[in-house]
Amino acid sequence: MSNKREREKRREEREQAEARVDTADRRTRLLQFGAGAVFLVIVVVVVLIVANSGGSSGGDAANIKEVSQVDQLFTGIPQENLVLGDPKAPVTLYEYGDPQCPICKEYSEEILPPIFENQIKNGEAKLEFRNFIIIGPQSTPAGAGALAAGEQGRGWNYLELFYRNQGKENSGYATGEFITAIAKAAGVKNMSKFNEDRKSARITNEVQETTEQAQKYGFTGTPSFAIEGPKTHGIELLGTPGSTETIEEKIEAAA
Amino acid sequence: MSMKLPSEATLRRIIAFVAALGIGVATYITIADSGGGAPTCLAGGTGCETVANSSYSHIAGVNIAVFGIVGYIVLLGTAFFANDLARFGGFAVSLGGFGFSVYLTYLEIFKIEAICQWCVSSAVLMTILFLLNATRLIGYAGAPPAESRLAGKGRSVEPVVSGEG
Repeated sequence: MSNKREREKRREEREQAEARVDTADRRTRLLQFGAGAVFLVIVVVVVLIVANSGGSSGGDAANIKEVSQVDQLFTGIPQENLVLGDPKAPVTLYEYGDPQCPICKEYSEEILPPIFENQIKNGEAKLEFRNFIIIGPQSTPAGAGALAAGEQGRGWNYLELFYRNQGKENSGYATGEFITAIAKAAGVKNMSKFNEDRKSARITNEVQETTEQAQKYGFTGTPSFAIEGPKTHGIELLGTPGSTETIEEKIEAAA
Repeated sequence: MSMKLPSEATLRRIIAFVAALGIGVATYITIADSGGGAPTCLAGGTGCETVANSSYSHIAGVNIAVFGIVGYIVLLGTAFFANDLARFGGFAVSLGGFGFSVYLTYLEIFKIEAICQWCVSSAVLMTILFLLNATRLIGYAGAPPAESRLAGKGRSVEPVVSGEG
């Protein structure tokens, strides 16, 4: 009788001990899985960051994007040198920019298109791009390319395509090969003239001159704008207007 | 130095609360972005627009905030159960969410070069959830399942360890 009770008691103790071991095992396994998962996530995040740290987004001469969109944007708008719009338009808006500048790209894609579509298309205003080299050494040949493309009537297509294919600032993507690929995609016909022009002292000096002019105006960032029209007293400096509406109001006031 | 762990029921309640906030933030980003819009930065600036319009904001055409909503809903779900599946599931999902948030914050700072405060809010919430779920797993993994109701007065679960640190 007492033997039986003792056996039962021992069995109960054994079962409890086994349950404790089970719990401890399960806990150890879960924590090991947890540690493994932490390790896996660290590896994945590091791989993603390393894979993204190259200049893979944009700046690729072999893959110029959005050519037809840019063509469509400027269809029906006259352009000569870097002046976009009717040369007889009463108001002239000046944009001092740097082809490598990401904010100029943002303006070009988001703030300026309604101005292209309305005030420039209907002959109320024209927009002249002037180089204001601020980002780095490769900005000078990039800006010279815009002037050279402008001489063949494709300056704005060049600028817009440059923005839409920008690599990271000063990452070294704006090579001669990239500039040539942009010009070709922008519809520049005579490529040997383009290459000769963009390297000429005449055009390089012009890039330098407009940069000095921007500095003289006191501009410190790109893009900076100025405006001139029948109702302004000479050239009026606008700095960097934050919205399409502000630019529209300035054009309205200058006309 | 020893530190007493909060009870599992307390951790679950905080996890549920933070996950609910996360659902709110991720839902706002998704709704604001639908139809070509962008979330409005409360502190001003165009950071939210820049981030929302960048090529990184969608994966296979799906706004990444949608993945956030799903993650927060799963995390909210794990707070309703006190068993090892919920403990480990909550830890794994919040760990994945935390890793993803680290990657997205890297993209904002170094690739997009703009900060969206809604995305930062979500990253902070996900970080808190990861810490809470890690504490829950370390403290209570292997503990017997308990009462399922969040605010239940059921049997409380004793920590398996009392957080040496």
